[in-house]
Amino acid sequence: MTTLDPSRGVRRSQLYRRHINNNAVFKQMGTNFIVSHYGNGNSEQTQARSMAICDLSTLPRIGFKGTCAPNWAESQRLTLPNSANMSAIQPDGCLVAKLSDQELLILSDIFTDGPQVATLTEKSSQDHAESDTQTYLLPRGDSHCWLAVTGEQAAEMFSKVCGVDLRPHKFTRGHIAQTSVAKTNAIVIRHDLGQTLSYFILCDISATEFLWDCLLDAMQEYDGSPVGISALEQLVASQ
Amino acid sequence: MKNRLPSPYGTLINRENPIQFEFDSKTYNGFHGDTIASALTANKKTLLSRSFKYHRPRGALTMAGQDANTMVQLPSNPNALADRELIGEGLTVTGQNFSGSLEKDRGEWLGLFSRFLPVGFYYKAFFKPRGIWEKWAPLIRKKAGLGVIDQQLVPDYYDKQYKFFDVVIIGGGPAGMQAAIESAVEGCEVLLVDENPSLGGSLNYSRFDVEGTRGKKQLDELLDAINAKPNISVMTNAVCNGWFADNWLPIVTKRRLYKVRAKQTIMCTGSLEQPAIFHNNDLPGVMMSSAAQRLVHLYAVSPGSQAVIVTGNNDGYGTALDLDDAGVKVNAIVDLRDKPIYDDIAKAAVARGIRIETRMTVYAAHSKGGNHVAEVDIRKIISQGICAVQGEVITCDLLCMSVGYTPTYQLACQAGGQLTYDDQSAMFSLQNCPESLQLAGSVNSLWTLDAVLLEAKRAATIATNALKFTKTQVTDRVTEKTLSPNHPWPIFAHPKGKEFIDFDEDLTIADIINATGDGYEHIQLVKRYSTCGMGPSQGRHSALAAARLVAAATNRTVAETGVTTARPPFSAEQLGHSAGRSFYPARRSNMHYRHLEAGAEMLQAGAWYRPAFYHSKNNDRQTCIDKEVSNVRDNVGLVDVSTLGGIEVRGADASEFLNRFYTFGFLKQPVGKARYALLTNEAGVVIDDGVACRFGNNHYYVTATTGGVDRVYQNMLKWNAQWRLDVDIANVTSAYCGVNIAGPNARAVLRKVCSDVDLSAEAFPYMGVRLGNVGEIPARLIRVGFVGELGYEIHVPQQYGEALWDALMSAGNEHNIQPFGIEAQRVLRLEKGHIIIGQDTDAMSNPNEVQMGWAVSRNKPFFVGGRTIAELEKKSSLRCLVGFVIDDSEAPMPKESHLVVDDEQMTGRVTSCNFSPTLGKAIGLAYVPPQKTGAGSIIEIKSLGGVRVLAKVVELPFFDPDNARQEL
Repeated sequence: MTTLDPSRGVRRSQLYRRHINNNAVFKQMGTNFIVSHYGNGNSEQTQARSMAICDLSTLPRIGFKGTCAPNWAESQRLTLPNSANMSAIQPDGCLVAKLSDQELLILSDIFTDGPQVATLTEKSSQDHAESDTQTYLLPRGDSHCWLAVTGEQAAEMFSKVCGVDLRPHKFTRGHIAQTSVAKTNAIVIRHDLGQTLSYFILCDISATEFLWDCLLDAMQEYDGSPVGISALEQLVASQ
Repeated sequence: MKNRLPSPYGTLINRENPIQFEFDSKTYNGFHGDTIASALTANKKTLLSRSFKYHRPRGALTMAGQDANTMVQLPSNPNALADRELIGEGLTVTGQNFSGSLEKDRGEWLGLFSRFLPVGFYYKAFFKPRGIWEKWAPLIRKKAGLGVIDQQLVPDYYDKQYKFFDVVIIGGGPAGMQAAIESAVEGCEVLLVDENPSLGGSLNYSRFDVEGTRGKKQLDELLDAINAKPNISVMTNAVCNGWFADNWLPIVTKRRLYKVRAKQTIMCTGSLEQPAIFHNNDLPGVMMSSAAQRLVHLYAVSPGSQAVIVTGNNDGYGTALDLDDAGVKVNAIVDLRDKPIYDDIAKAAVARGIRIETRMTVYAAHSKGGNHVAEVDIRKIISQGICAVQGEVITCDLLCMSVGYTPTYQLACQAGGQLTYDDQSAMFSLQNCPESLQLAGSVNSLWTLDAVLLEAKRAATIATNALKFTKTQVTDRVTEKTLSPNHPWPIFAHPKGKEFIDFDEDLTIADIINATGDGYEHIQLVKRYSTCGMGPSQGRHSALAAARLVAAATNRTVAETGVTTARPPFSAEQLGHSAGRSFYPARRSNMHYRHLEAGAEMLQAGAWYRPAFYHSKNNDRQTCIDKEVSNVRDNVGLVDVSTLGGIEVRGADASEFLNRFYTFGFLKQPVGKARYALLTNEAGVVIDDGVACRFGNNHYYVTATTGGVDRVYQNMLKWNAQWRLDVDIANVTSAYCGVNIAGPNARAVLRKVCSDVDLSAEAFPYMGVRLGNVGEIPARLIRVGFVGELGYEIHVPQQYGEALWDALMSAGNEHNIQPFGIEAQRVLRLEKGHIIIGQDTDAMSNPNEVQMGWAVSRNKPFFVGGRTIAELEKKSSLRCLVGFVIDDSEAPMPKESHLVVDDEQMTGRVTSCNFSPTLGKAIGLAYVPPQKTGAGSIIEIKSLGGVRVLAKVVELPFFDPDNARQEL
């Protein structure tokens, strides 16, 4: 396998140095670099089932806000959740998170470099060029980092850094908590990967390293560690 | 071990695991599970500590970690409770608060002078004559404090965690266990918390029947039921240290603080056995009956060889049977009551031939020169608190006290419960707890096991009904027919005093009475004046006796007198639990590591890390900064401005919104232009500034200061909630990374990587804004001049930040581009006369005072703060921010906030001052009175060390007054 160097890309995760120091092997998704696995990648699937964290920050995501944003999104054939603080998986694999009645967060399918977000971005810039259509694009790909926390110990780990009850029977699939994690504003989305309890967590991108370190510290007692996207793929593939 | 009992005694120890430890330089043996106190008692070592004030010998009192008698020093931990702390192999323990040795404490002489150290002594002694404190302070400071802090300690890792339950039960005795089972049966998620190593509470050590078997049988049944319920979580060695609103419960374990949310709380905190008050009631060997029972049953330790039991209830008889079973000779049960009720247990004591004396008390205990009780003087009770002149001396090395209880009311009172006192039962009870808090067990004034279990079921039913798990009819509160276990007056004054009410603070009967005599009649004032209840045990064993004494001394009832407020924490907690794992969010721009690689010294501005300056070889800090300044003036520099706030204002009313929000006019601002944006609050005070960049008819990108952007954003939301304009406001600070490339060669460098924007002065003039690309990176370009040079702020999506930095540094290579930090930026902007909001402004600064009147539009109908500014402009200014230079190169450089003075009168202050490499002298900004604002005026600044420095007021800016450089 050719060794990819994320510092050669123009778009770089705040964490790429940490990944390199942890012997990460990168893969390219679209124009972005993401960790495939660390070291030889052995047992990362097992790790992901138990307690793991994965950096998805270079993957596409976008936000829309405004009184007309939900209607416009539906006109783009997105299926919106019925209520705020819920998310809905789309047929093409991307996830629509309804942060309020007038605000949407769209996360790309984490396993493909599908065009969903890019298409929406382009369409939005065409439809809302004059910014008076009450649908406003939010640069979520750069305002927020995107991490996945996986494994049966994930909820227990979260209870060390977050005051919201995120246990799986209380915080069911698709639920969203906009809350504070380690004193940092965060969006937490329950999004199981296969049968494995999993959460997406998005926080202010400038605090990415801080949150990453906090979560690694909190998951230490559960033997948690970082994994690459390949481990997450295996979770879904093996369900 | 001399005092160790055979199995099955000792439910908490493991005899297969012997442990050796050290106490006061001697080696002792114990077993795994032993506390320091139990292991020492097993070795007939009962002197554990010295009291705080008189250095009196003290030993185990409760064996429950509820008193200060057992405080010892561990290598890294002072004031450890020896009856709570477990021994470990090689553990080194020492006594505390003695001079010489624990056995022979030279400080004991203080007790001889106790009559000269009355209550309130501190206030009286130090208050007058004037200056006397200076004499006392060294002596008091030497004596004050207990234990020694290890200042080299590397602290353990302390952690915190949230927990969520339907029902949390505090106290794992019979009531708590039963309540947990009942709640769990109905499907609730239950947490059962107990401060002891195992569940069971009094079932582990108390005597409930003649045979002494019921406790264990009941415990086994309850444990089996709990173990069968997966929805019951159990925390032992865990203390609920407070009750906060909405059942927020801090639960402290050895190294972790749990922050528990409960929908319903059931308090089964039990009760605290109270001491009898008599002469020398604090000697080692004098302990609560329950303490003796704990030693026997939990630790297999015989607490003595010959015992006397002073009692006011039948629990003392149970203790007598336990001791008798354990081989301790019970020389007498001294019963304070006239006519005890002889239940089966009392009858058994009689049947065993134990001597029983009624209507008698222990009047005094004596050590006969040692540090342990050796005999007691028992006497007939004549009337309340009065004994016969003559008594009888009984030899003993153990005196057990069983004269009553107080409910462990602290947590319930924090929740709003009220403590009332019933004269009939001589007992406190709790009333009026909130609906989400139930009580069960002895904290709820129930004493028989059957009643306790029934009431626990009832409490659980109320809780599960409230949570809608059940709709069960709630029965009436359980009542008992047994008599109160409390004796109304187990207090016997002695001519020689030393009848201790509060062991922590060495307070006697006379101290409490004298406090009321000094006019401090309210119990809260008695507490503060005498310090009763202010020691480590927080009045657990003094509150009841103190309330009785104060009530009697002030002719009130105990109910009227009450007890002092019980505030959290319930028990002492390590600072580590509060300090523990904490979160200090840190923000870094995408270019952060490029700064480090370039040798930056970072500083924190709020949560952001910013490069202060860049180290260079063989140069000190000031030289580095000066070089960075010169490089910008003469060449080209690059500074990271990612921390600047960025707010998108979009929508049909965007211009109108900005026009109302900022002081300037924005309605006619052309697309492609930036405009300075000064923000004032309703009081006309300058609170932030930035530039508003118009990228479209309905699209502004507004910058704000690093520290002010959150407030600006909040204010925008607040105002538009009132104005309801068609506008969307989004804080995109973190979404954009930014740099400012500045200096005469800035355009040449940028041109190499930005081909799709015409960068010429004509096409892209000063205060222009453009969208373009820097290399492959989409960028917003803004021609602004904060540092007073040709410059471009380039804002790109955050994750492109590092690539942008790389591209510009690479493009600038041939011009020897250098990064500069915020220290250089501060100098550069000062040379240009630009103010920094928050540094050069304060909570009173209006635009005219800071020479920003030009940024205020007087032609628009409204803006925030406009009316106030208009009114202020009708009045003459009291001060003005001016520029000054210091021509004397030898004068000490003034610092921010140094005073501007007129003789000794303060007339202003310095807000900024730096050496200007460009001008070759110190320059600064300062508030001065109106008469000193004219150019050429001389002001006097009180600089470092009080040195007066003369400065000359000059016109701003200091540099390039025609703006020729920035408009290149």
